[in-house]
Amino acid sequence: MGNEEYYELYGEYVSLKELGVATLISSVAAMVFFLAPQVASLIGVQTSGLSITLGAIGATIGFVISTFIIKVKRVVSEV
Amino acid sequence: MDPVSLLLVVALSVLSTLLYIFIGILPGTDETATMAPIALTLLLAGMDPMLVLVWFIASIAAFKMADSIPVALAGIPGGVMAVPQVPDALLAKEQGLADTVLRKGIASSVVGQFVAVVVSLAFSYYLMPAGDWLRATDVVLGVKVARWFWLVLVGTVVLAVTSRSKFVALISIPAVALVFQGLRAVYGKSVSISFFLGITIGPMIFELLSILHKELRNSYARRGPKEVRLLKVGKISLNPLKILTKEELAHSTIWSAVTSVLATVMSPVGLTTLIGDLLRESKRDKVRGAVLAYTVRDAIKNATYIGGTLIPLLVIGVPTGPMAAGPAAPFFNKYEHLGMTARDFIVTHYDYLTITAMVLLSSAIAFLVAYPLLVKYSRAITLAVFRRVPAEALYGLFIAIVLMLSYYDAKIAGIFGTLVISLVSGALWRLGVSLGVMFMTLVAAPTLVSLLMALPV
Repeated sequence: MGNEEYYELYGEYVSLKELGVATLISSVAAMVFFLAPQVASLIGVQTSGLSITLGAIGATIGFVISTFIIKVKRVVSEV
Repeated sequence: MDPVSLLLVVALSVLSTLLYIFIGILPGTDETATMAPIALTLLLAGMDPMLVLVWFIASIAAFKMADSIPVALAGIPGGVMAVPQVPDALLAKEQGLADTVLRKGIASSVVGQFVAVVVSLAFSYYLMPAGDWLRATDVVLGVKVARWFWLVLVGTVVLAVTSRSKFVALISIPAVALVFQGLRAVYGKSVSISFFLGITIGPMIFELLSILHKELRNSYARRGPKEVRLLKVGKISLNPLKILTKEELAHSTIWSAVTSVLATVMSPVGLTTLIGDLLRESKRDKVRGAVLAYTVRDAIKNATYIGGTLIPLLVIGVPTGPMAAGPAAPFFNKYEHLGMTARDFIVTHYDYLTITAMVLLSSAIAFLVAYPLLVKYSRAITLAVFRRVPAEALYGLFIAIVLMLSYYDAKIAGIFGTLVISLVSGALWRLGVSLGVMFMTLVAAPTLVSLLMALPV
């Protein structure tokens, strides 16, 4: 880890590019899951009322993926 | 309650506690943005509102206990409510008292939650008859006005005059109300979920968009990575009563009782700041004052969240304070599959004794899980969270949830509507208006705008 340039956003150091990537991953995952019941109903399967729940699950999966591909910008020293 | 439901109550309380310990320690996790969407998801999925309340009460216990842990260990708040504790924790840290405040905070959280549960439930029981009176309407200027509206309005004005920028806060009330009602008119329905999320992420969106501006960007630029110093902690006793002095216990108990009731219409952050400051100033010795303020604040955080949720929920039926209008807002929403609001479902389908038992049970389970876990492993969990969870992933998750709920409320237009609200909220926050003022305005908006339009001048 060198002397890279970050931005302080809401008390944390972030890279704008990586924030964009994380947002994109979580948003796409959320919307795919959110819209899944609608797609299912097109082919005749009824799963109404679960859109928000599925969307939240999708967003969380996106979050988990992001934690693996994005570097943490904190160095913790134990004193 | 049958054994299966009881088992479900235990399981939900444990799950919620574990999840919110993690969320609580995670820096930058806003309460409304993390508590409301999950409660809403559970309600929309068709879960019994009583069980969602059980989940919610356990999440308050865990979240408000855990969010001060990174404050004590590293001076970094785990949630908005823990921000007032930072200066006192830093002072304590300089004196080598980091683990003292850590354990005192955890212990007084337990005190705050239980005192508030008992006081709020007793208060609500005796005040319930007043609920009908508050829900009755009078005609003012030709507009039907529910009596609770005046309570909300007074609360909003009080919150505005305690904001850092009183004047801006006061004139923002009717202006922001017009923004909400304007968007609702365009959408053709009474949207509120995406609105309160828009308010919540306003400050973050405003900072993010400022970074995109070429000149403003420089003030946000940092040479990374961020250095975090984590302190070592010694062994901590498992008995909470051994940890607090008599004075701390007395203050925690009294102020929890008082603030749990005040939170019906007042802001939890405001109360936490105010009472803590008063206590700190009451001590001549700076360090003792800081430790006392930190400890009592931890109790007040739990107490205001409990009182601010339970009293409006049980007595009034409408969100009359920033807590009820913010994190607990999903309980006041109407759901098609229930045919009523989640709050109405709870009070019409369960008797007072069951509600009392459930709230006590979920608080007890939450602490049985959280207390030993945090006493033993708070440092290890904090270390893992700080080393493993990048801020970008967390912010990305927030934005995705807000986008989805905005789309759910009003399709693509809803996304831009939420953007408008977060820009207004972010700008006002920058100008020193507390977010609570906007949450309260959201509740008051329909009546306020009707009255505004009915004014003869």
